[in-house]
Amino acid sequence: MTDLKLPPAMSELRPALREIVTQGHEQAPYFTALLSSKHGLIITVDNREERVIERPPSAGTVLSAFDGETIYERAVSGFDRGEVQRAARELLQGRSFTQYASPAKQGSQQSGDFAPSLQIDPAELSIREKLDRCRELHARAKDRDPRIVNVQVRYIESGEHAVFASHQADLAQRLQRVHLFLVVIVAGEGGQVQYDYRAKSGGAGWEVLNFTEEEIQSLVDSTVALLSAERIEPGEYQIIAAPGVSGTICHESFGHGVETDMFLKQRARAAHFIDRTVGSSLVNIFDDPSQAGGFGSYFFDDEGQMAAPTQIVEEGVFRRGITDLYSATALHIPRSANGRRQDYSRKTYARMSNTYFGAGTSSLEDMLAQVDHGIYLDKWSSGMEDPQGWGIQVTCHYGHEIRGGKITERVFAPIGISGYVPDVLESVTAVGREWRLEAGNCGKGHKEVVPVASGGPHLLLKARLG
Amino acid sequence: MMLHKIIEALNGRSDLAGWTVRHLDSHGAQVYAVPERIEAQRLVNVERYKIDVLRQTSDPNGKEAVGSGDVTLLSGDDIEAAIEKAVLTAGLVANPVYTLPAPAALPDVPLVDADLQKDPSTATKDMMERIRTAASKHGDVQLTGAECFGEIHTTHLVNSRGIDAEQESTHIQVEFVLHSQRAESDVETFTEMSRRCVSDLHLEEAIEQRARHTLDLFETMAPPSWQGPVVLRNEVLGMFVAGDTLHGGVLQALGSAASKYAKTSPWEVGKSVFRGDVKGDPLTIWANRLLPFGTNSNRFDEEGLPAQRVALIRANELIAFAANQRYADYLNLPATGAFGAVELPPGQITSSALLAEPYVEIIQFSWFNPDLITGDFATEIRLGYLVQNGVRKPFRGGQLIGNYLDALADVRWSAETGFFGNYFGPQTARFTDLKIVG
Repeated sequence: MTDLKLPPAMSELRPALREIVTQGHEQAPYFTALLSSKHGLIITVDNREERVIERPPSAGTVLSAFDGETIYERAVSGFDRGEVQRAARELLQGRSFTQYASPAKQGSQQSGDFAPSLQIDPAELSIREKLDRCRELHARAKDRDPRIVNVQVRYIESGEHAVFASHQADLAQRLQRVHLFLVVIVAGEGGQVQYDYRAKSGGAGWEVLNFTEEEIQSLVDSTVALLSAERIEPGEYQIIAAPGVSGTICHESFGHGVETDMFLKQRARAAHFIDRTVGSSLVNIFDDPSQAGGFGSYFFDDEGQMAAPTQIVEEGVFRRGITDLYSATALHIPRSANGRRQDYSRKTYARMSNTYFGAGTSSLEDMLAQVDHGIYLDKWSSGMEDPQGWGIQVTCHYGHEIRGGKITERVFAPIGISGYVPDVLESVTAVGREWRLEAGNCGKGHKEVVPVASGGPHLLLKARLG
Repeated sequence: MMLHKIIEALNGRSDLAGWTVRHLDSHGAQVYAVPERIEAQRLVNVERYKIDVLRQTSDPNGKEAVGSGDVTLLSGDDIEAAIEKAVLTAGLVANPVYTLPAPAALPDVPLVDADLQKDPSTATKDMMERIRTAASKHGDVQLTGAECFGEIHTTHLVNSRGIDAEQESTHIQVEFVLHSQRAESDVETFTEMSRRCVSDLHLEEAIEQRARHTLDLFETMAPPSWQGPVVLRNEVLGMFVAGDTLHGGVLQALGSAASKYAKTSPWEVGKSVFRGDVKGDPLTIWANRLLPFGTNSNRFDEEGLPAQRVALIRANELIAFAANQRYADYLNLPATGAFGAVELPPGQITSSALLAEPYVEIIQFSWFNPDLITGDFATEIRLGYLVQNGVRKPFRGGQLIGNYLDALADVRWSAETGFFGNYFGPQTARFTDLKIVG
């Protein structure tokens, strides 16, 4: 039996949902209940202080009824049976939902309890043990260079429980995400302050949070090197994007740009490009919430759709977008498991999970050998979507010069990547075989933040840098 | 009732050096539109109790220290167990000693839109209707998506030093997408606004302006390579100066006592905040929580510190850090509380005088998100205009490149002022020498 570790109040309400959704279903063919609880912990240890704080939790119930045109929802705090029953009555009162029939594919019953496989479950470690692990990492990093003015270790843990019920579904899941940042801050001459960071993360336990001595020293070295970083001469460059940078390009281009709620709002140029070439034949792009250990992974989405991979771009051809219930229904396209909400107080949108370029066959050495003068983009810091204009904005914390097929010590920071999405993807001439995902938080515009991962292999391409 | 039980339980603990409890309640309505229909309507209630405790501890050398812990409860949760958890957490940590704020007079700050407070559902639907009506007046431009949120937040804060304060505020968030199509070409503009008061949104005016921008996107040329005057006005200037909700801002980051304590801010009280000469207007900034209907205004902040209008920078010189009680104690500074809005004084020149040609005006960035420690930025332009020889030519793409503080060291501010949620100050700024790479 799966141990979900459901919060007691959620556990108590779950059996009563059957009656609530059955009654709701009599009036509204599409009637669902979602119980959602999110909680977590943040531990910070630096040279001057320590903090252990709770991650702002959320816990509540969402009742949804769809009349084929509008989704009506009541979202109430907590899991009180009486409150939820009252909210269900109020939601349905005075409205007619009978004209909408749920899609036929929902004809089969779905049930199951799902929990991730964790080697070192954060729920089994005490706060003291987690704090001590952070202190230990801090101690390993803090005295490695006289220019270091502060070293910060930041551990972020988030646990999530969800129960989804409809007249056809009874699903429950536990999700666990961990993120450990090591930040080094150095001071140079004239008050100059620079920093660099490295993160370990996953939809996993503490087993993925180990830093090697080499990784720590390399972080200190890269931070110190930033004291002599230059601004890059703007222009078009041959670049090699590290997996995290590749992932951010992917996320901002054929991630946000293929969320089908954007199709519905006529915000996505990709809507006009289904089965058309949008990049080099080396380019394959996926979104996969079922990726084991991914920071953006889940077993089912907030609308009860079971997680499965979606191939978005196949050998340079755009195949399909990622959906939520509403946009899939309105556009008459098949569902993917991407209906996600920030928390119970927000609606569902089509959102990414783990979005990435598929791996290729080239080694990094082979790719470097193809670059006489270019830039190795080491680390991304942010990105923003432009689904209609297909412009790219990805900001990199820094990059290194490539000369004669070798990465030099010359460093540029920050670096902005810009360009037109199809031009950038068309310019991909080699795809690496080393592949990884990096964790992030993704907003829809400046709100609706959900955990995601982005990644891929090294990519050799051309883009404008500035 | 639950708040009283929590206070009683906290008062019954002899092992605490201090505590704060906040009862946070919000309720509101959300409406979402897609072309031709309402996609979703939601009513939302959120209620919780946030407890922070301080406990005396000692550091590894036996020196007196303090630890903090926190916990959040929902209605009906086990109060004793929650407090015990927070106290145990506090016992693990040993930081230099700090105190909690003491009671002080609280100012009256206008924070509530009366109509929204009365009926959030109707107020939110009315906003949506106004957006749809205003957009429908533009035959060439369609509203293809819109969201309106209207919320009422109440906070009741009590702490162990005797603060017992309440405040109520309203919060509005609006976004809309305007789309247009000519032959094979589609263009759109996406607008997000946040205010406390519906009348401060100026919805019809905003849609009128954004409709013009949307149509101008059909006429855009390739981005110019440019080094010279760059003008920002209104909402985009507010965002440039005061930052955004997702990322924050450079002034808030470098002007905070927490950053000073962590050694990520090189700023020092009594010294210039700039690393070189100031060629433009001298910079003066207030961190203002008293700004009427400011989105970051309040009567008191999360610790209970009363709202203030803090002179942060005067004539380029740092006057004070924005400090909560903890970092105020650590750095021996006055406790100012949370930052609030960014306020600048009016400049000496009219906006029209700042529009001497040639110049580039940027209307919208993809996302202006400078590095909060170094101030460096490289940010894509969604829509800008190159204005020269009497012609205003739109462009999109290209990046604005520079350093936030260097930009503020060479800027002229307009005499006309405006209010944009978390910014109050000049409506127009002319940055003398910024670089755009095409």
